[in-house]
Amino acid sequence: MRTLVVAIAVVCLLAGSPVTPYAGAQPAAIKLGAVIPLTGRYGGGGAQVQVGYQFAVDDLNARGGVPVGGRRLPLALTVLDDQSDPTKTVSQFEVLAAQGATVFLGGFGSDLHAAAAAVAEKSKIPYCGAAFALHAVHEQGFKYLFSPFEKSPELGNETYRFLNASIPAGQRPTRVAIFQERTDWGRELGNIWTARSREYGYQVVLRAEYTPLSRDLSDIILRAKSAGADAVFALPTPPDGITLIRQMKELDFSPKLIIIIRAADAVSWSQALGKDGDGVLLMPGWHHSVRFPGVAELNAKHQRRFGRPADVLVGPAYACVQIVANAIQRAGTLDHAAIRDAIAATNTTTVVGPVRFRPDGTGIVPTVIVQWQSGQQQMVWPRDLGGVPLVYPLPAWRAR
Amino acid sequence: MRGAAPLGSLGVACGAAAAVLLPVVTANQALLSWAFLVLLYTALAQSWNLLGGFGGQVNLGHAAFFGLGALVTRMVWLGGAPVVLALAAGTGAATAAGVLIGAPSLRLRGPYFAIGTLAIAEILRITTGNVLPDVSSLPARDLAGYALTPRYYLAVFAAAVVTGGAWWLTRSRFGRGLAAVREDETAAEAIGVGAFRHKLGAFALSSGFAGMTGGIFAYYHVSFYPAFVFSPVWTFDPLVIVYLGGVGTVWGPLAGAVFFVVVQEALSLQVGEPHLLVFGLLFLVVVIAAPGGLVEALRAVRPGARAPAHMGSPPAA
Repeated sequence: MRTLVVAIAVVCLLAGSPVTPYAGAQPAAIKLGAVIPLTGRYGGGGAQVQVGYQFAVDDLNARGGVPVGGRRLPLALTVLDDQSDPTKTVSQFEVLAAQGATVFLGGFGSDLHAAAAAVAEKSKIPYCGAAFALHAVHEQGFKYLFSPFEKSPELGNETYRFLNASIPAGQRPTRVAIFQERTDWGRELGNIWTARSREYGYQVVLRAEYTPLSRDLSDIILRAKSAGADAVFALPTPPDGITLIRQMKELDFSPKLIIIIRAADAVSWSQALGKDGDGVLLMPGWHHSVRFPGVAELNAKHQRRFGRPADVLVGPAYACVQIVANAIQRAGTLDHAAIRDAIAATNTTTVVGPVRFRPDGTGIVPTVIVQWQSGQQQMVWPRDLGGVPLVYPLPAWRAR
Repeated sequence: MRGAAPLGSLGVACGAAAAVLLPVVTANQALLSWAFLVLLYTALAQSWNLLGGFGGQVNLGHAAFFGLGALVTRMVWLGGAPVVLALAAGTGAATAAGVLIGAPSLRLRGPYFAIGTLAIAEILRITTGNVLPDVSSLPARDLAGYALTPRYYLAVFAAAVVTGGAWWLTRSRFGRGLAAVREDETAAEAIGVGAFRHKLGAFALSSGFAGMTGGIFAYYHVSFYPAFVFSPVWTFDPLVIVYLGGVGTVWGPLAGAVFFVVVQEALSLQVGEPHLLVFGLLFLVVVIAAPGGLVEALRAVRPGARAPAHMGSPPAA
């Protein structure tokens, strides 16, 4: 009897499941189909992306929607969770394509974006995704992929431009140790940091690779220390970043400057490391203190909902929806190819600043550099967008 | 009772016909994608079931063989070889690895075997991530001609072949020997059944089918990191599916895969953020209500049907 009850319950649950396209969808709406990792290893970042999309859709709909060919159409956002699994990313985007998505919106993490961009290309549906910096995804020749987010070449160049503009010549760190994880992004950014170092007056004294999720990084730290490195550039995952800082302290390796891309983005960085996390620089793609139209309203909305200004990925995700809406308005149609061409010709201002796209789909957007100061993320670059002074050089661990 | 066997055969024939005709009657890519995943998971779960369910050897390193098959197939296929040749290479590599890994690891028993195989899969995953860190994406020109239907038919073929292999085990001399080894290895040896030979044969069969399934995944997926195909999810998802459907049964993996894929996807679409929580609760309810799996539950709601095709008690896991 109980098995019968369970069987009936499962059937009831599945009844009306949207195997059939358009169950419950609005017929006259711009369908934005987003697949985001809301659970799994990327769940934290995916949650920020979802907030950005939802806030932007709410705001645009509150203003009456998007003008398309003489009518104003509302935006209808569908969010599916891929559980940080690229197989599910693909199958979920297939579902959204079958449901007639006008535009795809991406999630978080290079591997998921790479899978998603290929589906978009196959389906010929325009795709806008933030929250990934791997440039290699844009080297596949994809025509439907757009990302208003800084990529490795910008991160590499801006690192040195920022250092030379912010620190007087005689006081700059000059001997750089690069700790790169053994991944495609690790090698890509490591290559760019190394290639650009000499022209800006820096010497890479160590370039060490490690396997992601390593428990012991003491070998590469000691090698950097013995090489006399006074700056560390790294792009670890959050657990590796925390391990790195803790072991640098244990081994008393105190460089004058530390750049930790990605790991230091999360609010949990300061919670895990306390004062040891201070002084670390990060390049998260956006910051809530930038002075662009709409940022104050976005921060106010985020403050009301979550008790703090907008998180670093909320802005780029919000901008994706702004870009898509702007392109659809200019295209005047919901035709995929026309929207794709309109996005490619974008020249608009969003909450991440003025946006244009290169032919490979990478966005030309401002790069921001942030520093942890007294447990808060403070923007230190660009100065003309509201950056505060850089804390430099970093004090020795025992002096903190 | 007499009507149960023809009814079962009729059901199998109808199911097979529906699977073959699906791409003919619908062009809905989402539906085909779901059906593809159901069939892929059926083949992979059944390949685990051949050794774990029918042989009683809980292999926690199944992802190693799925991954090897996927990696070799992908490299050979993207290197310019026909996909059938690439699939054969992937299947062959996984089978060979199954023999090479099975020979020493099957000397271990119970949890030691399980942990040993898990360690091998993790070593392969980490090594692959270190050696091949770049994402493997289909070039844009290949994506332009990408079609799901041939991939779908390969999945139909894989699910049919692996399920056929399980059906053969329930009827063959080798399968009965394997069941004897599972129930009591010492007693099986005493009556002349070569325990190691049977276990190694099942291991090679299971690994080869896992490799073939991995190869089809590599042909299907547009973009993935090589280390991903060695991820533990390719061990634990099939394991969950087998326990959901019925351990050591011919039709359990199919029933489990339908539940696993369709319910998860439907919940994801309908329930939103708490879908994994709801699925977990539903999984618990099914396991408690039908400890013998969905096949057992189906038998309970179909009075008069004969017992599902399986061989004795499942292994302790």
